[in-house]
Amino acid sequence: METYLRMQNITKTYSTTGMKANNEVEFEVRKGEIHALVGENGAGKTTLMKILYGIETADSGEIIFNGETVKINNPIAANNLGIGMVHQHFKLINEFTVAQNVVLGIEPKRRMLFFDNNKAVKSVAEVIEKNHFHVAPDKKISELSVGQMQQVEIIKMLYRKAELLILDEPTSVLTEQEIKRLFITLKELVRQGKTIIIITHKLDEVKDVSDRITVMRKGKTVAVKDTADVDQAEISRLMVGKSVVFDFDKSQDGCREPVLSLENVTIKKRRQERPLLDRVSFTSSTCEITGITGVAGNGLTELEDVIAGLRPVTGGKIYHNEEDVTNKSARELRDGGLAYVPTDRLRRGSSVETSVKENLILTSHHDFMKRGGVFDNDKIDNYSRGLISEYLIDGSVDDPIGTLSGGNIQKVILARELDGAKDFVLFSEPTWGLDVASSEFIYEKILEMRHRGTAVILISSNIDEILTLADTVLVMYRGRIVTKQPVTRELTREKIGEYMLGLKDDYRHTDDMKGDASEN
Amino acid sequence: MNSGEFSIPLIHNSVSIMTPFLLAGIGGLMTELAGMLNIALEGLILIGAFFSVIFAASTGSLFLGLLLGIMMTIFISWIFGAITLYLKANVFITGLATNLLAGGLTTVLSFHMFGTKGVLMFQDLPKLPSLKIPALHGIPVLGDILLGHNILVYFGWLIVVLAWVLIYKTPFGFRLRGTGSNPAAMTALGLKPINYQMAGILISGFTCGLAGAVLTLNLGAYVPNISSGRGWIALVVIYLGGKTPFGILGAAFIFGLAESFSNYAQGFMNIPADFILAFPYLITVVAMVVMSIIQHQKAD
Repeated sequence: METYLRMQNITKTYSTTGMKANNEVEFEVRKGEIHALVGENGAGKTTLMKILYGIETADSGEIIFNGETVKINNPIAANNLGIGMVHQHFKLINEFTVAQNVVLGIEPKRRMLFFDNNKAVKSVAEVIEKNHFHVAPDKKISELSVGQMQQVEIIKMLYRKAELLILDEPTSVLTEQEIKRLFITLKELVRQGKTIIIITHKLDEVKDVSDRITVMRKGKTVAVKDTADVDQAEISRLMVGKSVVFDFDKSQDGCREPVLSLENVTIKKRRQERPLLDRVSFTSSTCEITGITGVAGNGLTELEDVIAGLRPVTGGKIYHNEEDVTNKSARELRDGGLAYVPTDRLRRGSSVETSVKENLILTSHHDFMKRGGVFDNDKIDNYSRGLISEYLIDGSVDDPIGTLSGGNIQKVILARELDGAKDFVLFSEPTWGLDVASSEFIYEKILEMRHRGTAVILISSNIDEILTLADTVLVMYRGRIVTKQPVTRELTREKIGEYMLGLKDDYRHTDDMKGDASEN
Repeated sequence: MNSGEFSIPLIHNSVSIMTPFLLAGIGGLMTELAGMLNIALEGLILIGAFFSVIFAASTGSLFLGLLLGIMMTIFISWIFGAITLYLKANVFITGLATNLLAGGLTTVLSFHMFGTKGVLMFQDLPKLPSLKIPALHGIPVLGDILLGHNILVYFGWLIVVLAWVLIYKTPFGFRLRGTGSNPAAMTALGLKPINYQMAGILISGFTCGLAGAVLTLNLGAYVPNISSGRGWIALVVIYLGGKTPFGILGAAFIFGLAESFSNYAQGFMNIPADFILAFPYLITVVAMVVMSIIQHQKAD
């Protein structure tokens, strides 16, 4: 088969974070194939495809499509070349019909002036029929199922005569049935001569549907394989790569008193097929770091919210020192000794427009009042200066926190949360996007909490971080804990990766799943 | 006097009085559908009212006055739109600024050109022609109510129909509504939401200019702050009318009736004048409460 698309030397650095999302990426697609582009979160898959579809512009590199070097500056240019993209999050107008959504922007007209709805319905119906979709062109989007909405997105691109279809994580929101139907559709499209690129990190799907695979890791292409030649374990190994584990002193103090216990914690919305959290049970104890990992979309975010008291559970119980704290508010949990370093530093962890000192006293401002209910500024300044030097924060008390670097913002949050006596600390993605020096500092602080006897829960999608810090690791997949293991030298990235990607599951056939991390 | 003699002129009057509400409401609907609450309607009406009457007086032509007055209002709405959309200012702040600008600009120009900040009378201004179809005047009740208004009243009705066609029957209307509903869907298809928001703002400039002209050209005079809250009530009219052109026609009529009633009641009834003058605003509050209750019931 001939080369259809070639992306050469693509480099893209995001100016806001300075992160190299794509670093001299090579990508090649042949005509008439289904090509899987796989990699972990943040590997650069979506960035590469956004460049191809004209949403992002590459800093350097070139795109050769159909034998010609092309410049793609916006989605219309991509459409004109015959490239279409189906986004992970649908871009539909709910109050419009299927046909109206499809033709938006290139509407058929009557007497030069008027929108011709009949013609729109008719021509969209033709596309639907030709490709065996199951959706009525005159139905409103708000009446459709999620699977049908995705069909509308594909129809949109086919109506625009797309020959190369890019699908970004198309199965993440679909049910098993809908996934099967989607794959039948994709194979049918290929039979008609279309070419498809599918972005995913679900390995069973890659094996099911694709002809070839390109694996990306940390902004680079690391492997290109024929799907038939590799098994899931090898793809998994290529995706996660080699370990970079820091060596920290994790000598054991031996205290292991249970602090926080989750028992069968479940979040299930009505009419939802799969629970967001499915009978999650574990215990976090003093002097212990419980690491929880998983791929995005498998329950880590929900678990973070639940432990922080920001989201009610629909089933199960949470105990803090044997007291039932299920669905207690964040305020009550904090009063009981919770410290929380959230994933979202800028919106949840700090108030970006206020000063460093104000951020430092956000949770303890009542202790800084003078008589009459006004702040004691000298006391606040002294307290803040102390924390700034203790946590090596590069910034002064009156700087708006938003003007600090990411690492320093995180240090301010850490200083606020960790100061004083705490019972248990929840860290979520504590070093995401930070440089090595800041990360190492944060690791030391996390270990220090453990030495002080605090129970630490560390949620992180970074396996290396878990292996470096945690005493026990739990892996989440589809809202469930699929394994609990002590962290030892023998436990490798690859082994955890297999659980993260759903290849292994220690509890698959256990209906009554009642493991307890501290027992391991 | 019997109730018929009282109510027919009352309703006849409402049909005329509702026109500014109707026109401003239709203009505000266009920006509302594009996803922006347009609080500048009040100021734009004032601009239209002031400039149309002074242009009419200086050119001696009602038509030229109307045309230039509307153009001036569209120009001001373009400034409002450009600052909001291209310079990415908060639409609420720029809307407020437009209202303040309108009040200041009309006062300054009035003093500079006519030496007064008060009422400007234009004695020799021709009256707005009114529609007279003798054959139809014979129709009882309906003829009395619907006929004999000045032509801008009928032009307002025409605009309702044109707005309906534009919103529901043209590609532009689809894109305008798409912009308000999910701009990301537009961007993903390579369409620019900002263009449709600008178009919505310019259309509201046009209709508000017309709404202002109705106020002053009918009177042959300019009274300071003649818009007197009509732009704000127009916002209520948009919501009360369910964000559809014909709904706005109905809602505008209710407010026309309220204002007309408060004008009449001053002469007839023994109710404190303050209360009567507050009547349209009371209707506003009641209407919003009723709307809110209906919406809550729908949501449940």
